[in-house]
Amino acid sequence: MHKPTLSRKMFVIFNSALLTAITLLGIIPFIHLLSVSLSSNTAAMAGEVKLWPVGFNFDAYRYLGQKVEFFRSFGVSIERVALGTAVNMFLCFISAYPLSKSIDQFKYRTVYVWFFAITMFFGGGLIPTYIIVKNTGLIDSIWALILPGALNVWNMVLMLNFFRTIPRELDEAATIDGAGHWRILWRIYLPVSLPSIATIGLFTIVGHWNSWFDGILYLNSPEKYPLQTYLSTLIMSINSQMTSVSIEQIKAMENLSEKTLQTAQIFMGALPIMVVYPFLQKYFVKGMTVGSVKE
Amino acid sequence: MKLNKTWKLLLLATVSLSLFTACSSQGNDPAATSAADPASKEETKSTDAPPEPLGKYPDTVTVTEVLGYNPPEDPRTPKGITPDQNAYLKDLKDMLNIEVKYKWTVPSSQFEQKFSLAMASADLPDMMELDQKNFEKLKKQGMLTDLTAAYNDYASPELKKYMESDGGFAMKTFSEDGKLLGIPAFEDPFLSTQLLWLRKDWLDNLKLQPPATMDDLDKVAKAFVENDPDQNGQNDTYGVSLQKNLFFWAYDLRGFFNGFGAYPSIGDNQSAWIKDSSGKLIPGLIQPEVKNALGKLQSWYKDGILDKEFALKDENKAVEDITAGKVGIVYGEWWYPNYPLNLNVDKDPKAEWIAIQIPGLDGPGKSLVPKIRSGKVYAVNKKMKNPEAAIKMINFYIEKGKKKYMEQNKAENGYVYNWFNPRIYNPAQIDTIYTEVNKALDAKQTEITLDDENYKNVADVFKATQDYLAGNTANASKGVNWGQYFSRAAKDGGWGMTRKIKESGAFVNNEFFGLPTETQVEKGAQLDKLMQEAFTKIILGGSLDDFDKFVQSWKSLGGDQITKEVNDWYSQEAAK
Amino acid sequence: MRTLKKEYILHLMLLPGVIVTLIYAYGPMAGLVMAFQQFEPLSGFFHSKFVGFDNFKYVFAMPDFKQVLWNTIVIAVIKMVLFLLVPLILALLLNEVTKRWFSRFIQSAVFLPFFLSWTVLGGVIIELFSLSGPVNGLVTATGLKPIMFMLDNEWFRGIVIGSDVWKGMGYNMIVMLAAITGINATLYEAAEVDGAGRWKQMIHITLPGMAPILILLGVLSLGGILNAGFEQILIMYNPTVYEGADIIDTFVYRLGMFSQQFGPAAAVGLFKSAISLVLVSLTYYAAYKYNNYRIF
Repeated sequence: MHKPTLSRKMFVIFNSALLTAITLLGIIPFIHLLSVSLSSNTAAMAGEVKLWPVGFNFDAYRYLGQKVEFFRSFGVSIERVALGTAVNMFLCFISAYPLSKSIDQFKYRTVYVWFFAITMFFGGGLIPTYIIVKNTGLIDSIWALILPGALNVWNMVLMLNFFRTIPRELDEAATIDGAGHWRILWRIYLPVSLPSIATIGLFTIVGHWNSWFDGILYLNSPEKYPLQTYLSTLIMSINSQMTSVSIEQIKAMENLSEKTLQTAQIFMGALPIMVVYPFLQKYFVKGMTVGSVKE
Repeated sequence: MKLNKTWKLLLLATVSLSLFTACSSQGNDPAATSAADPASKEETKSTDAPPEPLGKYPDTVTVTEVLGYNPPEDPRTPKGITPDQNAYLKDLKDMLNIEVKYKWTVPSSQFEQKFSLAMASADLPDMMELDQKNFEKLKKQGMLTDLTAAYNDYASPELKKYMESDGGFAMKTFSEDGKLLGIPAFEDPFLSTQLLWLRKDWLDNLKLQPPATMDDLDKVAKAFVENDPDQNGQNDTYGVSLQKNLFFWAYDLRGFFNGFGAYPSIGDNQSAWIKDSSGKLIPGLIQPEVKNALGKLQSWYKDGILDKEFALKDENKAVEDITAGKVGIVYGEWWYPNYPLNLNVDKDPKAEWIAIQIPGLDGPGKSLVPKIRSGKVYAVNKKMKNPEAAIKMINFYIEKGKKKYMEQNKAENGYVYNWFNPRIYNPAQIDTIYTEVNKALDAKQTEITLDDENYKNVADVFKATQDYLAGNTANASKGVNWGQYFSRAAKDGGWGMTRKIKESGAFVNNEFFGLPTETQVEKGAQLDKLMQEAFTKIILGGSLDDFDKFVQSWKSLGGDQITKEVNDWYSQEAAK
Repeated sequence: MRTLKKEYILHLMLLPGVIVTLIYAYGPMAGLVMAFQQFEPLSGFFHSKFVGFDNFKYVFAMPDFKQVLWNTIVIAVIKMVLFLLVPLILALLLNEVTKRWFSRFIQSAVFLPFFLSWTVLGGVIIELFSLSGPVNGLVTATGLKPIMFMLDNEWFRGIVIGSDVWKGMGYNMIVMLAAITGINATLYEAAEVDGAGRWKQMIHITLPGMAPILILLGVLSLGGILNAGFEQILIMYNPTVYEGADIIDTFVYRLGMFSQQFGPAAAVGLFKSAISLVLVSLTYYAAYKYNNYRIF
């Protein structure tokens, strides 16, 4: 390390200040949510809570502790993320490998690439997709949330680009040693591309955790809903397209006024996924050495 | 490579095949079943004893349904209960030997989406809760069964009483060629009457009288802005509550426009149609009275009576301001004390709200009231073998409201009423509650003596009323109890005022209650955007004469065509 | 002969992905016929009436369509550029942070808003920029008159673009950071020996090392040229800013207000897909031709 110059010092200070400001901006909405969930319900309904609780209490969390629906959906989400990420990552990994080869190594790669790429732009829409999912027998099963998106083309393209940065000499050396594609993939590519796997894994986990609409479409009973699908039902139980409010809808509205409980659930729903990122970060750091794995 | 190609072909074939079967089965179904249907109906008739509204089937009859649900309302409902565990279903099985199977259940906000998927994949249940649009669609495809016989033979006396309470008008609306194709759930149209809700304590603080005319209202609203009505020493209040949709389902301006004799909309961006002197229907939206009302709104906005940023606030923001005590005047229907006024009452112990007839130009004005108020209709799939089971289920639910079931029929025992379908209510339910509760109050009774199917609804309100009057907050907060009392039972409350208006005849009818016409579907979104933009800009300080330009564009962009179509509908309806 | 045998395994590796894609991505594409039909769910694809290009004509002939298309492109293009630029700058700045815990903390914080839906965030942002909100607090503190940000077409667009970039910047930032970590560390060591400073290292090593990922992200983002952010705008906009913020997707959404119009919606979807495919293909081949680099 060189001795830091004055301009370097100034830069470091400026840089830290700027990044701290950006950090604050990212955290503020969460502080707001947390404060609302810890406030009294009337203060929350009156919109008086900003960044500090008004009428501080833990009632929402105490009530949340008894919410069977919340924990049931939480379990479904965990299952979905575990299954979904495993399937997604496996498919992504084995599909990206052949496509990362150059044309002289794999003649038909471009055909495949476009076969996949087209699907990034064209989709059939809700109804046809539903009919396919139904006719493949997935309705009301957790696989309906996993199989239709089992190969995320965007992630695969990212992955194949990461694979390309792996020095070609590595697999050439392995080929000479008599290793086949399959072995190269698992023995050489896998350990070397941990940072990219962590990156794409993160997106996959977040994607599965956050998606809610497919739950509404493909699952037939609320007991099977993942967490975000369940949470979405809390926020939007009033249908805004109506001309007259029926007596029952009024009662539903009264329920809507449990704002602190809603907020507590939204907050708790985002919490686990927030922890995942720092956890995965250690693989990013390990990746720092990847470039030098020249043996 | 070869192998791969074959695979592709094979898969493509399977996929297209599965798409094909899904769609083709759909086209064939109605024809196939309608042929098979009469036979099966006769069969059930011959095996059944004389029709009993609540007769038990010898063999279990399975009825498939789909359900759009809201969370259970009562906090005492067992935790984690699911719709198929509903105790009503258990009783239905015991009493009638009918078993309900849900094909799917979904939160009510997503019901429409999910139902159109069910229609597209030809997977409809036996018993369906339909809105008007889907009812018409299924009717056109011949997928609904004729319920005339089932209704005549099996409807309980209570159900018949309800259906005939409007002279059979609602049933006629859902019939075709004398065939009853659905049982409509309808309510008293006067539930839509617009009232003006005001903070009485603010009026008292400023020594003001409730406004009777628009000029009075103008003065009151100004005082609410300028004279510190909540006496907290801060300039933190404004006059009239409003959110960004001028014609919505609440916190909007329908009642305000009505006060000017203007009838632009029935809410949710849909135009209202009133009768002119020649008996033709005219669009309320483009009448000159609307311009006068807009002029007043413009000056209100300038004077700070309207929130400076109403144009970007949604209904939740409007509720926040009411709850926080920032605003003391709001237009709306009878139910406001239930929500959100109760929140304000809980927050501010001094808060006191009253309902008055909407102020008009000289004296109280006339509110717009629909011809029919029916959100949904229960219909039965052509494929179903026992259409009378649907009628029996309706009978069952009405029966369950009686006093003898009350001990058992409680939320803590797993009874979730709003998860049971079909539910047909007494269309005069609210008036029954009002009359019975007041009868009991006047006679200083401690319990409701009524013993018919309305018992549960009346008893609930009576209990809340007693709790409110006694200051008992053990069962619910003061605001919630007051909300029940002041919306349904109080003589000067929500329904009390509405009742007076109904009796005095101070209303104007919206004459159009058909489906959106062809041009409405095609151009409606565009015309609505035109209106929203023009009106909002005028209120925010644009030229009032832009209204005339708006009328011209509205007419030429499809409005004239819609007017013609609506009048065609009207003359057809008159012939019915 | 040897290569053929090897390629066989490569085909095999792709097989599961091909199957899934065929069934769940290509299968539903049969539904694109809706764009040429007066589609009615009850009648299905085989019994709905074919209307040729009527749906396209209907949408394109709407008087607002030009304005809406223009709004969409303006908002989407600015978002596209910022979604590359802002995360890039962030990633480079983060790369200069030497304290590891600080770097990690910031990465997490920047990624946070990504976890919240617009239904939740929309209200927070409207609040921030309201007359009594903190932003106007700053404005009045400097002696200026408060501004109604959300009712002004220009400001509104700016806020929509800015807040979307703020919400989503963590995503690309992470991809870029991963790209930076993939750069061969020996290159930096060599540069250090040559006496190159931080700035020079960034220009000559980091940026060129990231080039493939940057080109990839750039080209693929072109596919979103007609996606200006439906959910966000639907939640945040209001009639006074229709002029500058009504986009294709909100426009189509409102078309279905009185009765769901499947045909026109499918037609617009097809139109958008076709445009993005053309743009991405063109840039794909441009990148290949001038840079000899296949992005995928």
